[in-house]
Amino acid sequence: MKGFTVKKNQNWLKISMIFCALAILLLTVFGQAQAWDLKAAAKPYKGETIRTIGEALPPLEALDKVKEKFTKLTGIKVVVEQYAHEEAVDKVMLDLNSHTGRYDFIIQPHRELGRFVENKHVVPLSRFMDDPKLRDPNFHPEKELYVNLWNEISWYGDKPYGFPFTAITMFLWYRADLVNDPTERAGFKAKFGYDLKAPQNWKEYKDMAIWFTRPEKGFYGTAIQGKRHVALWYEWLNFLYSFNGDILDVDKGYKYGPIIINSPEAIESLDYYKSLVQYSPSDTLNYDWDGAMAAMQQNKIFECIMWNDATYAVEDPKQSTVAGKMGFDMVPQGKGGKVGQVEGWTYLIPTDSKNKEAAYLFIQWALRYNNQLEQHLNGGASPRPDVYAHPEVKKLTYSKAAMDTNAASLPKATFPESPQMTDIIVLALSDALAGKKSSKEALDWAAQEIHKLLGDKAPLKFPVD
Amino acid sequence: MNRAWRNLGFGIIVAVIIIAMTPYIWMFLTSIKTRVDALSSIPKWAFSPTLEHYPKVFLDKGYLPLLGNSIIVAVSSTLLSLLVGVPAAYVFARDRFSGKEDLFFFFLTTRMAPAISVVVPMFIIFSKLGLVDTYLSVILAHSSFNISLVVWMMRGFFEEIPPEIDEAAQMDGNTKAGTFFRILLPLAAPGIAATAVLCFILSWNELLYAMILTAFESRTLTVGIPGLVQPHGTLWGQVASVAVVATLPIIIFTFLVQKHLVRGMTFGAIKG
Amino acid sequence: MAGFAKIKWQRILLDKGAGALFLTPALILLLVLLVGPFSYMVGLSFTDMSFSQPGHDGNFVGFANYRKLMQDDPIFWESFLTTIKFVFAAVSLEFLFGLCLALLLFHLVGGQRLIVTLILMPMMLAPVAIGLMWKLLLNGEFGMLTYYLRQIDLMAPQTALLSSYDLVLWTMVGIDIWEWTPFVTLVILAGLMSLPKEPFEAAIMDGAKPLRVFWDITLTLLRPIIALVMLLRGIDAFKEFDKVFILTGGGPGTATELLSIYTWRINFRNWDFGYGSVVAFMVYLVVLIMCSVFYKAITWKQGLEGIKT
Repeated sequence: MKGFTVKKNQNWLKISMIFCALAILLLTVFGQAQAWDLKAAAKPYKGETIRTIGEALPPLEALDKVKEKFTKLTGIKVVVEQYAHEEAVDKVMLDLNSHTGRYDFIIQPHRELGRFVENKHVVPLSRFMDDPKLRDPNFHPEKELYVNLWNEISWYGDKPYGFPFTAITMFLWYRADLVNDPTERAGFKAKFGYDLKAPQNWKEYKDMAIWFTRPEKGFYGTAIQGKRHVALWYEWLNFLYSFNGDILDVDKGYKYGPIIINSPEAIESLDYYKSLVQYSPSDTLNYDWDGAMAAMQQNKIFECIMWNDATYAVEDPKQSTVAGKMGFDMVPQGKGGKVGQVEGWTYLIPTDSKNKEAAYLFIQWALRYNNQLEQHLNGGASPRPDVYAHPEVKKLTYSKAAMDTNAASLPKATFPESPQMTDIIVLALSDALAGKKSSKEALDWAAQEIHKLLGDKAPLKFPVD
Repeated sequence: MNRAWRNLGFGIIVAVIIIAMTPYIWMFLTSIKTRVDALSSIPKWAFSPTLEHYPKVFLDKGYLPLLGNSIIVAVSSTLLSLLVGVPAAYVFARDRFSGKEDLFFFFLTTRMAPAISVVVPMFIIFSKLGLVDTYLSVILAHSSFNISLVVWMMRGFFEEIPPEIDEAAQMDGNTKAGTFFRILLPLAAPGIAATAVLCFILSWNELLYAMILTAFESRTLTVGIPGLVQPHGTLWGQVASVAVVATLPIIIFTFLVQKHLVRGMTFGAIKG
Repeated sequence: MAGFAKIKWQRILLDKGAGALFLTPALILLLVLLVGPFSYMVGLSFTDMSFSQPGHDGNFVGFANYRKLMQDDPIFWESFLTTIKFVFAAVSLEFLFGLCLALLLFHLVGGQRLIVTLILMPMMLAPVAIGLMWKLLLNGEFGMLTYYLRQIDLMAPQTALLSSYDLVLWTMVGIDIWEWTPFVTLVILAGLMSLPKEPFEAAIMDGAKPLRVFWDITLTLLRPIIALVMLLRGIDAFKEFDKVFILTGGGPGTATELLSIYTWRINFRNWDFGYGSVVAFMVYLVVLIMCSVFYKAITWKQGLEGIKT
């Protein structure tokens, strides 16, 4: 009996050893796929320096500090060039068109995306995302980012070219302390018949503007960003969308379509917008976003429509006399319902970049939750919902309004002629505000100019006689 | 000149100085005010000053090297323009040759070229030569508009000096070049001083070429200023700080060069 | 024999060859730095070169851009008119004030360093910074100057200079005068200080009245300097960009849309270099013609003077 047992045991031993060997072999083969590691992926590029360019604002300054962690992990040095808005765009255009290849990745406003893609200056992300050596398997942008933001800001023609660096929007700023003040409440109700609150529609917005305009006291209802500047276009878009208008009748930024900027709804929105000038400070036609915000900070106006990434400035006691008195809500609703706009700067990788892979690794790393959180808490505007769910972020007074607006945003044009189209609209709006043209004349002129610019791809839906 | 006129004259000069200086004084005050004070509706002349803006812009934002860049670019382009332009101006003032006025007019026209259009071909050329983001490209670009200025102005100053002086020097055995270097240059000192001041200022304050032809490392201080006009609020305190610091070297330079203006006057008296 | 050059060929070079030697470096630099890029720009004006439109890589289009300018660009012509208004107003007032101030300084203060430096201060600051400073001073709500102007009733409480369609261009002229009168003053002052004494002494001995002395002698001797400084200011005023752009962006509407701002828009916003080169070339031609006329008038007059004496 003993002999038989020993032999059986020996067989079992052999079988288990073979099993173990097989198991180890299998684990090694499949285990490798799970063991993607940033440090390993970055090894071929260790010691390289990658250079980027963006707008000199707190989020980029935050990135400039956070990047040190990346360098420690991978040995890849990162240089961040920070410039004013205009300069950051100009330098990139010059670099891309002269094929100098100075920048390994760039951060640009999403309206420029069409220009880059159509001129083949940037590469689609797929070549990096599909590469197992570079792609972090734990990174699922379609699940981790606000997908509509990602689409709006970094996609063109149904392909992604990057990820959002910031995703900012505009919403309503108002003085909550005045809304809650008993004297104001009583007086307002007596005159208008309803309670003071965050204005929910345009009638309420104007009623409150009328109520709070007291020039003798140096206080006004609202301020519009009326300077001949791109800020004017951004601000008016809120009104245009809310009145159920739009510039082109399309559903995606890169598409051309019928021009509807001179539709009756659009004209109505411009008439309304113009009517706010008399309830604004005297210099409102020279205000860009800075002027309007300064007016709010200095306790000169009751309400305005402003950017979410500037709210920290109005809540900072060192810069603002109304810190802690503010309330935020979505843009008042008109026939268009709940709408907003989104504006973003996107990471992109140029065709002439000399270190595309290293750049992709950095971008992927910067999109991680921790890095995004740090950027966001420093005045950033992250495209990650989980960042907004963080308690610190939730404490920020404007978070809810920002999230709601993000969810309701309409696309903006991103085809190559888009910036030029914006310029035409800014001039039309400025002419209308200055009283040189009526709203209809100004928008009709804009429609004709846009048609000249875009040609037959954009026919006039409301022909001008 | 009787008393009343003199007093009126001095009064006007004082008024002019006040008009000239007020924006500067306000700017200096803004550089030491907090943002809330700077944007107060009733102008504040009394407030508690703060020095926070200076280190914020020059250290945190790293604008201090930009000051050095400005100095290098302005000094070099002024020297280059003077070196190349003053002798040329002399030739126009003294020599006769066919086509002289046409050639002079050509020099004038180089200034008319609109920088906005010329800068992009220039950028392309410089980038092919690998000169973008070096001092040399900006120095050359600045010299391109300052040379015509130098030739222009110095010709006028040279023409004010009577040709007899040239002749006397040449009779003494000097070559034309020798006459120029030994006799005429010192006499034209006030003109050179005025021209140098102008060249320095124009180069120091120039924005377009400096912005396009430099990148991060060789930006001048002037290029840094628009960067402070941010969507989150123009950083008035920082803008004012940069403006104050940017003006100081020019004031110093002008003050120093003035000495030669005065010397020139004395020379004029002697030769008269 | 005095002199540095002892060897014969050195003497010839420094004597006869001095002219060429002195002129050549300037010519070379200008040819390379300006004529080259400028010719390239003129070449571009016949193409459709654009950095933003795909496929517009510099294909030849003949005179299409020129035709567009002539027939289809009312904004260009409006901008042209605005610039002319700006240049004439600013330059003529700068001349007037500059001349008076230079005379005043010359007679009362001589070359006194401190005072001259103080008066020169406006032109020492970068135009872009000047624009920002005046923006703060003239702001409707926070501007120091606005406040005081309203206090002394020179301005209505609801007007703000930079938002006023009617007043904004003249405000720009005013700021330009503030910035550049010192320059005119400096040059004329330097000219005054370099004037020879003899003609004045002779005139005084002849018993001439001060006004006559001024008109006949001072102005005449200063003419070349004055002509050149005004020409210089005229050309530079035509190219005015930095401070107007940062103050108003060309607005409200097109009230301050100077030609340089319009050119910038086409070149750096639309990145349309084909059309942008035509606009720039047109501006250049206009300035060239105006300056030629002015220049010929001056030299013709100087020629006459030469014949008289």
